[in-house]
Amino acid sequence: MDKFLEGMAEILEISPLDVTPELDLTQQAWDSLAVVSAIALIDECFGVTVDGAALAKCESVKQVQDLVSAKIGK
Amino acid sequence: MGDLAQGYRRVAGARISGVVACVPPRKVTNEHFVPAFGEAGVAEVTKVVGVLERRWTDASQTTADLCFLAAERLLGQLQWDRASVSALIFVSQTPDYRLPATACELQARLGLGSACAAFDINLGCSGYTYGLWLAMTLAAQASNGRVLLLVGDTISKTVDPNDRATATVFGDAGSATAIEADANAPAAHFVFGSDGNGSRRLIIPEGCSRVDTELPESFGQRDRQKLFMDGPEIFNFTLRVVPQCVQEVCFKSGRTPDEIALFLFHQANAFMLRHLAKKMKLDPAKVPLNIERFGNVSSASIPLLIVTSAAERIRSESLPVLMAGFGVGFSWCSAVVEFSQPRVVELID
Repeated sequence: MDKFLEGMAEILEISPLDVTPELDLTQQAWDSLAVVSAIALIDECFGVTVDGAALAKCESVKQVQDLVSAKIGK
Repeated sequence: MGDLAQGYRRVAGARISGVVACVPPRKVTNEHFVPAFGEAGVAEVTKVVGVLERRWTDASQTTADLCFLAAERLLGQLQWDRASVSALIFVSQTPDYRLPATACELQARLGLGSACAAFDINLGCSGYTYGLWLAMTLAAQASNGRVLLLVGDTISKTVDPNDRATATVFGDAGSATAIEADANAPAAHFVFGSDGNGSRRLIIPEGCSRVDTELPESFGQRDRQKLFMDGPEIFNFTLRVVPQCVQEVCFKSGRTPDEIALFLFHQANAFMLRHLAKKMKLDPAKVPLNIERFGNVSSASIPLLIVTSAAERIRSESLPVLMAGFGVGFSWCSAVVEFSQPRVVELID
């Protein structure tokens, strides 16, 4: 997940140290542009595409990770 | 959704003799959007989408006008007898009228003969490659076949100035491509497809006939007469479809990606294109971008790329070129066409 967390930090323009599973996305610039970037990041790190609307609704990094895990598990 | 089936067509006996693109003179830089979206809001779009400036028409200039200028230049440079043009195809989502077909009016404006077939095609992002397939097919049917393919859009007229996702991204452009019969021309290869399940992800829901279209949640409270674009879903669509249809058309053309000289992709979004190029392991030097100068110009993006970023190479060498259009519909079409130094490759700026 390291590359993924680093990528999330870049998308949110915050320090990688601040990107923990608990990070509250509702307090971040988690808009449609960030979601597009995250779709690319997830595709690159895990080789899966996740639903844009579901991703936009994630309120924490943990929820994003769960979404990815569910997709990989399919 | 599983793997999307890919349709394949091979067209022999026609070549591209010239390409002219035309952009309106009015430059709109990102500064223009600061009052509506703020410095930070504009910077974010620049970072992801990659547009620094775009050209917009004024109210009195339409897509047909841009295509007309491009066609006049092209016909003049090629010295084609106007009566020798057997078909005129106008590909656009921004025609002059709901009816008649803009192609009919352009036939008269350009002084083409009355034996010329003229018709419109309503496609956007995938429109240029679809148009090429049809134009090459028509041109190859007669030994003296000559087809004028006019492709363009003025999406700036359809966006809501308060919707950042569309207002900042699109530019206007028109183009004209001359295609003629040539028994010795190398075959061109096309792979295309459609997935109408995505129709409401990129749509102007009202203004034609249907008034009660059900729209996705992401549509929100937008104006139903303006362009709506669901960026994340379109991105997912391109990730699913583009690598597959690029790979497929390479394979059908008997070439490996290494043997393709240039990959001309519909200029949808710089970030997305870089991601796709990386995913497909393409040499970035072979994937030119011009979105920073012109924005996303819808159907005209590939011909505009031909006469700008790719112009020098296309003028000076014979090249196998892969083109791929994908988006609104959803619709997509990739092509491998051998460019044999077309006589005219010009931008009207």
